[in-house]
Amino acid sequence: MVVDGLRYTKDHEWVKAEGDVVTMGITDHAQEQLGELVFVELPDAGNEYAARKEMAVVESSKAAGDVYCPVAGTVTEVNDALNTQPELINEDCYKAGWICKIQVADAKALDDLMDAKQYQEYLETL
Amino acid sequence: MQGRTPSPGRFVFESPEAEPIGSVLYEEHVRLTSKSRMSPFAGYLMPLWYSSITAEHRAVREGAGLFDCTHMGVLEVSGDAAEPFLNAVATNNVARLKVGRAQYSYILDAAGNVLDDIIIYRRGETDFMVVVNAANEPKIKAYFDGLLAGQVVIDTADPNRKMETPTIRDMRDPASGADCRVDIALQGPASIEVLAGLSDDASFVERLRELKGFGLLNESLQDMDCLICRTGYTGAVIGFELFVHPSDAPRLWSAVLEVGAPLGVLPCGLGARDSLRIEAGLPLYGHELAGSFGISPFEAGYGWAVKLDKDFFIGQAEMARVAQSYDMQVARLALPATKGIRPVRPGDPILIGGVCVGWILSSAKVDETQYALAYIDRDGAQEGNEVGAYYLARSPSQVQQGRQEHLDKGQQAEADLTGTVVGRYEKF
Repeated sequence: MVVDGLRYTKDHEWVKAEGDVVTMGITDHAQEQLGELVFVELPDAGNEYAARKEMAVVESSKAAGDVYCPVAGTVTEVNDALNTQPELINEDCYKAGWICKIQVADAKALDDLMDAKQYQEYLETL
Repeated sequence: MQGRTPSPGRFVFESPEAEPIGSVLYEEHVRLTSKSRMSPFAGYLMPLWYSSITAEHRAVREGAGLFDCTHMGVLEVSGDAAEPFLNAVATNNVARLKVGRAQYSYILDAAGNVLDDIIIYRRGETDFMVVVNAANEPKIKAYFDGLLAGQVVIDTADPNRKMETPTIRDMRDPASGADCRVDIALQGPASIEVLAGLSDDASFVERLRELKGFGLLNESLQDMDCLICRTGYTGAVIGFELFVHPSDAPRLWSAVLEVGAPLGVLPCGLGARDSLRIEAGLPLYGHELAGSFGISPFEAGYGWAVKLDKDFFIGQAEMARVAQSYDMQVARLALPATKGIRPVRPGDPILIGGVCVGWILSSAKVDETQYALAYIDRDGAQEGNEVGAYYLARSPSQVQQGRQEHLDKGQQAEADLTGTVVGRYEKF
């Protein structure tokens, strides 16, 4: 499932822009590939990341996946609920399963990401 | 690249690279799960899971689960030379295996390396079926070919020792003859009731109920000739492996799912297969057996399947030495897995008193427990011992934060998680 109005990376992160703060998480395709998640290592608020730097880890009982920072910036807030309910990502990856909010360094960087249609087309090539 | 000199008696085999192919049940799988969940495994595209690993694991413990094992190698060894050949090739005592029974065993090379763990089914006095791991099948076929051709060292102390030469046939290949077999496993407490639903013969269910562990029946299920054996790889007390002609496999697969649906039968993928065998304490070749640590049957906990008192088997001298000297063993550990606890991974060190005594080989989460099979000091492997686990660094950023990427035995570290050594095996 791909949601309109979000931006996407080739590493299967989604980004929702609200001014210069964005919310990010991993896509339905990513959670589907990982299976039932049992652990999420969240970044710390205040950490700065360059684009495509690993910022979080999601682990299922059989696989671990790195989550990369979709756009350069500073983490302002993390979804603490994932510490005890990692399955929120499986159940609702685009809403309740969000990972963190990022104050983006340069909002124009969002234009480099795919829109829903482009991401859908990208998924079909995999 | 530096050349390595193989030790005397080592059997070296390079598996040819090939694109993974679908099993004979591939069409059934893609009807039941998405193609993205099909993963390359031992040369085949196999399902990781259909519903979820948790649901499939539970189905085997509470109802039954159906597994595609048609990728497993099935070889027929027949003729007057069959028993003496197998008794020299396998570590267990084939001469003591009765018709209609099966036996767990190992195939070693002359240097004592484990080439595979196998089950030998005795269908007649001179007729055996040998089931080998899918990943090892090309190697075992090449090894048997080499033995038949007299091109493989069988005894480093006696280069003139000769092997008996039986007839060996790949039973999964329909070109090899009329009697062909592939393996489909049905495991769990509801298995008998499910199989009973596939036959109109009233006495069949009695024969099934009376079939002991490692016993073999030859039955007709909905006109399909089926070898039914009470063997399996899930720790289920009641469970069967069904051997049918490859062209019957899709029909048997869907018939079991149809009859089994109201009895809680689910198709199960590789994920549940792994979590079930880990929970039960069963070894997987390349992990708890052989693999990077070169784990012997004695260390794996299966010294009973290596009959050192036999006249001869390939690798006997090395096994006699190992039996006296091994100081590591496979232990089953229970670690907490409540929500938010990071799972342990293969390679993560096990600590006793803050000192590394070995490493995790496999692990699986079952409800609120992570079961791990670990290769640790024999001294520390007693049931009830408290052990620690250390998470190795999983990423460059964790290394920067000071997390180790590797611990040697004897190195000190602080445990991230505490658990206990539990009994080596568990039956369900």
